[in-house]
Amino acid sequence: MEIQRCKGARDLLPDDMERFRQVEDAFRNTCISWGYREIKTPTLEYIHLFTATGTLTPSMLGRVYSFLDWDGWGGERIVLRPDGTIPAARLYCENMSGQDIARLYYVTNVFAFEETGASDREKWQCGVELIGDPGPVSDAEVLALAIEASTALGLPKFEIKLSHAGILKALIAELKLDAEARALLLDEILEGNWQALSNARGRSKGIDSILSWLMELKGKSSAFLANLKAMPGISRNLAQEIDRFTAITELIDNLGYKYEIDFTSIRGFEYYTGLCFKIVSGGARICSGGRYDNLIGLVGGIEKPACGFAFYFDQVVALIKPWTRQKAWKTVIVRSPGKASIKSAFSVAATLRRAGLIAELDFSGSQMNARWTVNIQFRPKAYIVRDAVRNVDKAVAEVKDIINFIGGSGNGI
Amino acid sequence: MASDLAIAVTRLALPKGKMLAQTSRLLASIGLGFADYNSKTRIYRMQSDSVPGLTAKMLNERDIPVQVAIGNYDFGICSSDWLQEMQTRYPNSRVYKVADLAYEMSSIYLACSDRSGISLSSLAGADTAWRIVTEYPALAEAAACRMRLRNFRIFPLWGSADAYPPENAELAVLKATDEEELRRLNLQPVKKICSSNACIIANSDSLESGDFSRLMSHFTALINNAALPAEEPERRPPTRQKDTVYRKSEQKVWLALADGHQQAHTINFLEKTEIRLQGYDKDDTQRRPLSNIDWLNIKVIRPQDMPQQVANGNFDLAITGRDWLLDHLYQFPSSPVTSLLDLGFGWVKIVAVVAEQVPADSIEGIKTLIALGKMTPLRMATEYINIADKYLRDRHIQRYRVVPTWGATEVYLPEDADMLIENTETGQTLARHKLKIIDTLFESTACLIGSRQSLAVPRKREKIDQLISIFRKAAAKK
Repeated sequence: MEIQRCKGARDLLPDDMERFRQVEDAFRNTCISWGYREIKTPTLEYIHLFTATGTLTPSMLGRVYSFLDWDGWGGERIVLRPDGTIPAARLYCENMSGQDIARLYYVTNVFAFEETGASDREKWQCGVELIGDPGPVSDAEVLALAIEASTALGLPKFEIKLSHAGILKALIAELKLDAEARALLLDEILEGNWQALSNARGRSKGIDSILSWLMELKGKSSAFLANLKAMPGISRNLAQEIDRFTAITELIDNLGYKYEIDFTSIRGFEYYTGLCFKIVSGGARICSGGRYDNLIGLVGGIEKPACGFAFYFDQVVALIKPWTRQKAWKTVIVRSPGKASIKSAFSVAATLRRAGLIAELDFSGSQMNARWTVNIQFRPKAYIVRDAVRNVDKAVAEVKDIINFIGGSGNGI
Repeated sequence: MASDLAIAVTRLALPKGKMLAQTSRLLASIGLGFADYNSKTRIYRMQSDSVPGLTAKMLNERDIPVQVAIGNYDFGICSSDWLQEMQTRYPNSRVYKVADLAYEMSSIYLACSDRSGISLSSLAGADTAWRIVTEYPALAEAAACRMRLRNFRIFPLWGSADAYPPENAELAVLKATDEEELRRLNLQPVKKICSSNACIIANSDSLESGDFSRLMSHFTALINNAALPAEEPERRPPTRQKDTVYRKSEQKVWLALADGHQQAHTINFLEKTEIRLQGYDKDDTQRRPLSNIDWLNIKVIRPQDMPQQVANGNFDLAITGRDWLLDHLYQFPSSPVTSLLDLGFGWVKIVAVVAEQVPADSIEGIKTLIALGKMTPLRMATEYINIADKYLRDRHIQRYRVVPTWGATEVYLPEDADMLIENTETGQTLARHKLKIIDTLFESTACLIGSRQSLAVPRKREKIDQLISIFRKAAAKK
C-alpha cells in the first residue's frame, strides 16, 4: 500500500499511546508532587522569539518549519514550536512575571526538519522550568527532580553527566575572538564539534593544558573541580565560574547522587549559562537540562534567573517496559443477539463499567478479543457468561451475578 | 551507427537575459554552439549540430538551478547566486556544481542607504525589527541568522531592491558587480554575503547514473575560454540615481509606479493626466521621480511587489495589474489592499494552458486524465503561484505540485510541466509554442490599488480621492 503519511511524520497506535501515557503520567505525578504546575504553549509562535543570540543556534534555525500566515503581509514569519523552553519563558513573561518563583511543567511536541525523513520531524518532550531563583539550590532541585522522574519512569539504569556553560563561555572569551567568530565557535561546540575548540587553540598557549583537561578528563566529585581551579593559568573569570559549578556539585555530593563531570557532554542549546546536565540510559541521551539566566530577559525584557530540563519522550519510550495497567483491567464483551436486546446490552455494559470493568459492545457477534463474554438472552434479565480461559459457560439472572462470576471489581477507574 | 544510437539525450538549460550573449559566444568557441541561441530568437527549444542527442532550452537564469535539481535538465549554465539561494533553502537538492566559469562576476551584498550609517556592529544588539528587502530571501535569512539579528523581517521581491532603503526598508540584500555600483545606487555595503559568477551545474542523479562524458569532455575548454579576457558585453550603465530621500510625513501620499515591461504603458497613461513627472522616462528612470504634485512621494518598483508593499504600509497607492493584486489576496485573504479604480490599459487574460497534444480541452478533461493515473501528480509551472494553487485547490485536483518560475513559462510544456497558468494578450506566443488554452480564469487590466488603512486617514483620503478623480478622467479617454 502506498504510504500517504508525511515523510518524517509518525502515527501513534494504541500500544504506542499506552506507553506514551505511562511516561506522561509518571512524569506528571512526579512533577505535581514537587509542586510544579502544568502549562501548554501554542504550537505556533513568531520566529523572532527564537532568533536572538542565546536562543537557538543558526543551524537549528535552519531547520525550523516557518511560513507566512494568511495575514503575514507584514513579513512576520510563524514557526511550528521548535523548542519547549523558549515558549515557556515567553508564557511566564506575559502571564506570570509577578510571581517570584514559578514551578512549571509541560508535555509538548516540538518540530524540526530532519533531512532523511528516517527520523521523526515531530518529537515529544516533557520538561520543567523553575523560574526565579539564582541557585545553586534550585540547580540541585531540578537535577534531583529529573533523577526522581527517571526512576518513576522505570528507566532501568541511568547515568548523570554534568557540565557548565559558564566555564565553556569564559574559556571561549579567553581566545579573544571577535563577536561573530566567538558565536560561530560556540555553535560548532554545541553541535558536538569539540575539534573546533582545539583548532582555535594556539592563539593563546596558556590555556592549552586547560583545554585538554576539559576535553580528556572526567570528574567524579567536587574535588575534580578543586583540582581544575588549582591548575596553572586559570584566570579570575574562569575561577569564578568554577566556583559557581563547585557550589552545585557540593550540594549534589551531599544529596548522595553519583555523577560524572564531562565537559564535552554539553550539546545543543545556546541559552545555557550555568550548570548543564544530561541523563544517559542505554547509550541514549534521555534528558538534558541546565540553567539559563539570560533567556527570560531576552524573551520578555525582565531579568529572571531560571533552570529546567526536558525528557526526550521517544528515547524514554524505547527503554521502558510496556505498561500493563490497561491489560490488567478485565475486559468483558457484551453481545446482544438482536435489535430487541440492544437497550439491555447498553444497560448491562454500563453496570459492568461502574463496577470497574471494561465493557465492550459487540454488534457483529464476532469479537473474540477478551476473556469474558456476556450473551444477552431473549428472556428478560438472563445472561450467559463465558470464560474463555476456563472454557466455562454459566447462565445467570442478574448483572451482579456476572460481576461475581468474573471475580469482583476490575482494577480500573 | 550503433554508437550514436547509444548516446543518451542530454538536456541542457541555458540562460536568457544578460548572461545570454557571453554564454552563447563561449559555447560557440568550443564547438558547442546552438544556431538559435541568441537574444533575437523566438525558438526556445534547440538541438546541437555538433553533439548528437544534445538538446537545450532557454530559461530564466533564476529558474535553472531549480529545474536542474528536480531533474528536468541534466546540465545548466547559470549564475552561482541563484544556485546558492536554492541550496540555502533546500540543502539536500540534487544539484552539483561542476565548475565555476570566470564571467558574470559579482557579489551579493547586505547594504543600507548611504544616509543611514548602519554598521555591522549596530545590527546585532539592536531591538529594531529590521526590514530586509531582497530577491534572495534564503540567503538573506541565513545571513540574518548568522549575524544574530534579534528581530528581522524578510520581504521577498521580484526586483528593484535598491529602490527601498532607507524609507521602505532599512536593509537590502542585492547583487552588484562591486561596491562602486552600490554607491551609484546611493547604497553602502554593510557586509558582503557571497561572491557570484557563472557556473556549470548538473543534476546529481544524472551524474551518478548516466554517461555524459562526451559533453563533459568539452568543459575544460569551456572553463579556459571563459577565463580569457573577453570583450565585455555591452551593458548600459545603470542610471545614476539622484541623491534624494523622502522625509517621513503624514501629509504625503506614497505612490508606487512600475518599472520593467509595464513602465511604457504607465507612461502613456500618465500622459493623459495633468500629472507631470521628471525621472520616469525610458532613458532616465529615477527611483524617486519628481512630480508637479507636491504631496506625492513616488517610487519606482516592480509591479509584482506592489500589493504587499501597499499592504505593509510602505505605499498608500500603486499602479499594478489585477493579476498581481489577486495573487496577493489569495496569499493574504485579509490584506487591507483593494482595487480603487480600473485604469483600462494593459489588458491580458489569465489562462490555464496545456500542450496541444494533451487529449483534453477543459479542466474537467484534465481531471479525467488524472483519475486515469496520467499526469499525477500534476506539475504546474507558473509565475502566479497563489492563483495557481487556489485554482487547483478549488477544483479538487488531489495531487499537484506548483513549481514557481520567473517568466518564459511557455517553454516548460510539455517536458518540464503539465500545465501553466499564464497571461496572454493575443494567444500567439502560446500557439507558437504549440500550446492550447483549456480555461480562462479572469481578465486583468492595470488598476489603482490602495490600502484601506490609508483610506481611513481623513487627510490621506482627501488626496487619494483627488488622484482617483484625475485617473478616472484619464481612463475615460480612449
